[in-house]
Order: sequence, then C-alpha cells, then structure tokens
Amino acid sequence: MSITGSRPDAGRRQGTDNPPAAEGGFLRGRSELLVAVVLYALAVFLTVGTATMNVQGSATPGPRFFPVLVCILLYAVATALTISVLRNPSVPDTRKHPDHGNFSADMLRDLAGLPADRTQTAPAGSWRTYSDWRTIGLVLLGLVTFTAVLNLLGWILSAAFLFWIICYALGSRRPAFDAGVSLLFASAIQLAFNAGLGLNLPSGFLGGLL
Amino acid sequence: MDQLSLLFDGFGAALTPMNLLWVLIGAVLGTAVGVLPGLGSAMAVALLLPVTFSLDPTAAFIMFAGIYFGGLFGDSTAGILLNTPGNSSAIASTFEGHRMAKNGHAAKALATAAIGAFIGGLIATTLVVFFAPTLVKLATVFGPAEYFALAVFAFLAISSVVSESVVRGLAALGIGLALALVGIDGPSGTARFTLGMPQLFDGISIIVITVGLLALGEVFHIASRIHRDPAATQIKTRGRARINLGDVRRALPAWLRGTAFGAPFGLIPAGGAEVPTFLAYGTEKKLAARRKDPEFGTTGSIKGLAAPEAASNATAGTAMGALLALGLPTSATAAIMLAAFQQYGMQPGPLLFERSGELVWALLASLFIGLVILLIINLPFATVWAKLLNIPRHYLYAGITVFSMLGVYAVSSSVLDLWLLIAIGLAGFMMRRFNIPLAPVLIAVILGPMAETELRRALAVSEGDLGILVGSPITITLYLVLAVALAVSGVQHVRHRRTRKDSEPAVQAVDA
Repeated sequence: MSITGSRPDAGRRQGTDNPPAAEGGFLRGRSELLVAVVLYALAVFLTVGTATMNVQGSATPGPRFFPVLVCILLYAVATALTISVLRNPSVPDTRKHPDHGNFSADMLRDLAGLPADRTQTAPAGSWRTYSDWRTIGLVLLGLVTFTAVLNLLGWILSAAFLFWIICYALGSRRPAFDAGVSLLFASAIQLAFNAGLGLNLPSGFLGGLL
Repeated sequence: MDQLSLLFDGFGAALTPMNLLWVLIGAVLGTAVGVLPGLGSAMAVALLLPVTFSLDPTAAFIMFAGIYFGGLFGDSTAGILLNTPGNSSAIASTFEGHRMAKNGHAAKALATAAIGAFIGGLIATTLVVFFAPTLVKLATVFGPAEYFALAVFAFLAISSVVSESVVRGLAALGIGLALALVGIDGPSGTARFTLGMPQLFDGISIIVITVGLLALGEVFHIASRIHRDPAATQIKTRGRARINLGDVRRALPAWLRGTAFGAPFGLIPAGGAEVPTFLAYGTEKKLAARRKDPEFGTTGSIKGLAAPEAASNATAGTAMGALLALGLPTSATAAIMLAAFQQYGMQPGPLLFERSGELVWALLASLFIGLVILLIINLPFATVWAKLLNIPRHYLYAGITVFSMLGVYAVSSSVLDLWLLIAIGLAGFMMRRFNIPLAPVLIAVILGPMAETELRRALAVSEGDLGILVGSPITITLYLVLAVALAVSGVQHVRHRRTRKDSEPAVQAVDA
C-alpha cells in the first residue's frame, strides 16, 4: 500500500519492475543524477550572480550574505546526492506515492505500528523508460504552444487548443467532441472573467473581427 | 472573556448572506478538490488566489476558510472507496476505512470520517479562539534572533526530521531558498539574480511557484503514468452516509483521542497531519489489540477510521492558530494561506490581531460556520461527492492545466510568468519522479525572506557576533528541541537502513 510505496528500493528486491529494455549501462538506476546536475547548475548560477552582484549600500551583513549560505547548502546537497546515487542506484518502484517523499515511510510505519513491509508485485511492463515521455512531450507541447500564441490568437483559441491537446495526450479518443468541450470551456472562462470579475484576457485577432 | 465578545463580533461580520455564500462556495470547492485524488486545499487556494483579487479581503478569506477545512473533509472519500488516498493526510484513514467499505459498510465509513473531521476541527478551532491571545503575547517578546530560530526550526523539521530522505529534503529546501532570493533585496535595494529583467525585480511570484509545483507538476506526473499504471476500482455506494447511535457511541472516544493527538501538532512545523494521523491510528491499533477487537485489521474498525480523521482536522485547526498568531506556517497548506495574507498586504503574526482584528475574528468565526456547512454538505451527500471520482481524468487534468495558466496570467498579465510556470512545473515533475519532497520548497519560499531579514537584523544589532543567535532562553530551547528531534530521526534512519541491509544481503550484493 501507499506508505510502503515510498521506499525506493522496495521494487529492487522483487526485481519485477525493471524496465526490460534497459539492461546494464552506467545510468541504469542512476537517472537521479539529473537532479544533482540541476542542483549544481542552480548553485553555479547563484555563485556567479553573487560574485557579480552590484551591491547597494554598505550595511553588514549585506545582500550577499544569505545567498552565500544558500550556495554552500546547494553545493553540499548536490554533492551528497551524487554520492548517494552513485553508491545506491535504484530503479523506480511502480507503486502509488501519495505524497512524494514528504514523509519518511519508516517513521510513519513506526508511529502506526504497521508491519515492516507488505510485498506487492508490480505489473511487468514492456516500456523502455519509466516515464511516458510521449505523453509528457504532448503536454509540454501544448503548454509551450499556448504561451507562444496566447497574445496572437487570443485566450479562447489558445486555451481551447491547450485543453484539447491535453485530453488527447491523456487518452481521450473523441477528438471532435473534445474540441467542442474545449471551445465551450475556454469561452465560458473568457465570459466569466471579462464580464464577472473584470479581468482582461487577451482577445487576439478575433477581438478585431468581433 | 474578551475573546468571546470578539468572536461574537466576528460571527456578526461573517453571518451576512453574501459571506455565507462565500463560505458555501469555499466548502463545496474544498470538498471537491479533497475528493479528487492528487489535489488538495493548498492547490485550490493557490489556483483561486489570483481570481479572488477583486474581492474584498474578508470575503476572500471567508472562502479560503471553507476550502481549508473542506479539503480535509473530502480527502478520505477516495481512500475509503478506492483504496488510493488522494492526499497523504488520508493515508492512515484508508487502512480501516477501506476495509469497512469492502465489507459493505462504505456509507458508515464515510459518515464516520465526516463527523470525525467535524469534531476534530471544532475542538481545535475552539482552542485557537481561547489560546490565540496567549500565543500573541508570547510572540510579542520575539526578537530577530527568535524569529530566525523559528524559521530554522521550520526548515529543518520539515526537510530533515519528517521527510523520507534527509539529502532530498535539504535539496528541496535549497531550491526553495534559491527561488526566494530572486528580486530586489529589501534592506539594501540591491537587485539579485534578476538577469537584468525588470519583471523579476519583485521576485518570482509565490503563485507561480505554488501553481507550478502543485498543479502543473501533478499534471506532468499524471501524464507520465496514466498509460502505465492500472486504474483503481471503486466500491459502489448508494444512499446516504448513515451511522446509528451505537456506532457513534463506539466512535466517540476515538474521535476525542484523535483530536488530542492532532491539536498539539498544528503548532509544530512537522509538515501537517501525517504524523498525528499515524500516531492516532497506531494508538487505536494498540487499544484494539488489548481489547481483542476482532474487527481491527479484518473487517474494518470504526475506531481505526475515526481517530485519524479527527486528528487531521484538529491539526489543521490549531495550525491556523499558529499561522495567525505567530505567522508560522506549519504545513504546506498553511504556507499557502500565509502567502494569501501577503498578497493582500497583511503579515500574520502578533500585529495582525491589532491591525486587522476584525478580519481575524471574522475568519475564525467563518471557520466554525465552514465546519457546520461542511458537515451538512458531507454527511447526507457523501455518496454524491464520490461521483466526482467518475469524471474522466483527461477532462479533469485538462481543466486544471487551463486554470493554472489562467490563474498565473491573471496575476500580472505577463507571458514571462507563464514560461516560468512551465519551467517550475517541470521541476515539480522531476521532484515527484525522484521522491523529493515538495513541502520544504513551499516553506522555504514563504519563510526564506523572513529568515534572511531577521538573521541580518540580528547580526547587525550584535555587530557580527553570532552569539546573539543563541542568546535567549527561547532560542536555546528551540535549537535544543530541534537537535533532539534531528538526533532521534537520525538514529531511526540508521536503524532502519541496518535492518534492511541485514534482511537482504544477497540481493544487495547481486544488484550492486
């Protein structure tokens, strides 16, 4: 069940949820290095920003003081994470994570007096990567397109497109019906906001025609 | 009893037809997001913040009061019927709740949960009314060093003591602090990490960060799994959630015990209701073993459900007290509420009771009204709410995505904010994928600026002497308690790692 699900190594023991296509390779079970890279990048960005900061005023401690502390934290954490991932590679377990690591499952289990583990076999899959990158890509495409064309096409068309493409990506197979729902949804929001709350959403080129 | 007359004034302000309508809207929205898996009150408040800018603050907060408790009324519904708790605050209720549902007592389980949430919230809110002035008095002796100690306490408690992995918790904390640094530094007027872009001088909007992490991040996460994870099957229920007098009599002690566990935890920055709900569940389990209760763990015990439900709402109730009186957010949801106050130009803490006393007491009164309304709309209609679980998931998440973009765009009509939102949404997805906790990011973003200002203020007063940070009994106590908590959780982590290693040496060797 859920709290056992937040144990990253639980799946490893059963060995059933290894993506079959991903045999061997250094990055196998080590994809979390991406997080370390992001943390290092953030730390370097803060370091450069702190070093080149155009400091106003002469108070001590000044505006550089706290960023330096945060930089130290980020470098330390990124290094610790790198070491931890290199030493203990782990494949993701496929069970439900209601709170994504916010709480230690061990601690909660102790508090509740639950048994140490409940085994649960994960469904065997035949995909190459753990995450479904095609679906994520479609969602991302929708978001990027929406942001790029919002001022050009206006709220109704952009928002309807965004709604539609996410329905499509998440597995709806009634594109024509969805298109109607999308347009209705987007128009209802435009109407409610412009008329009811007085917020102005971009009307785009349609605004010139209507 | 000064508080009572102030509270009655609050009721006077909150009991207008218009404000009752706002409570009702808040309660309905809150229950809805609570029922839907993966959504919670934190996200609902974040999404609604921009929309409510045109309301007056009292109306907005009255609505938020309904959402705040509503999320906890609905959250156990999915857990009981589907065995998939939508929010972590409902995990402990799911164990016995789902067993009851499987054995044909779904309606009774839903009613137990709703009444438990009501009792927990009611007692906790009453406590807040009577003890808030004491907390305010305590807070007025706080100086910069004390506030900094409080912030450090909150940071480390949420990122290290309760989280799954200390490294990942601290990583989340670092990300949050870094996000909070962007913008013009208040005391000196220095532009920091803005890349010269004037749009960033005010910093990254807290709405962009919360909506990105909680809403878009969840959408990406769902997208990454929707074609791969099997769907959960729902237990069908009919009719009204009902409970008879005998059940009430059996559940009542558990409700009260749960409340007793939950109420103190609202004041501690331990991330919300998870720890007290599990504690309450564990206690009921021990008591059941002593009484040789055959239902517990088999057909589902009403007490095992009642206690955690009351605990979660009791925590939320007193968390509101800590937020209003000390300005200390003890959970992610409380952090968003704090952000909401800041959006309206108010700073929770001792001064709030003086400057905006009317609003505070109207808010406290509407918490009571909200609880009553929530009980009314949840007890008879729990099975109707369960129908929300039948909404096709693609429509649900498409709607959330569009609403996220709308909310962020409505803040400042800035396309740059939308690009930032997408980036933070991807970061939220990355964090979910690798089980990095989100709560420390939110707490760091909200409390980071306060921690920095107070730290610099303290060091400026002491002319750089670090001794001032541990110079008063309050700070020493806070750091000592924190050190003990860190030590205990450190021992825990090591102990569990050791037992795990002992039990599986062979597999470890092969896999490494």
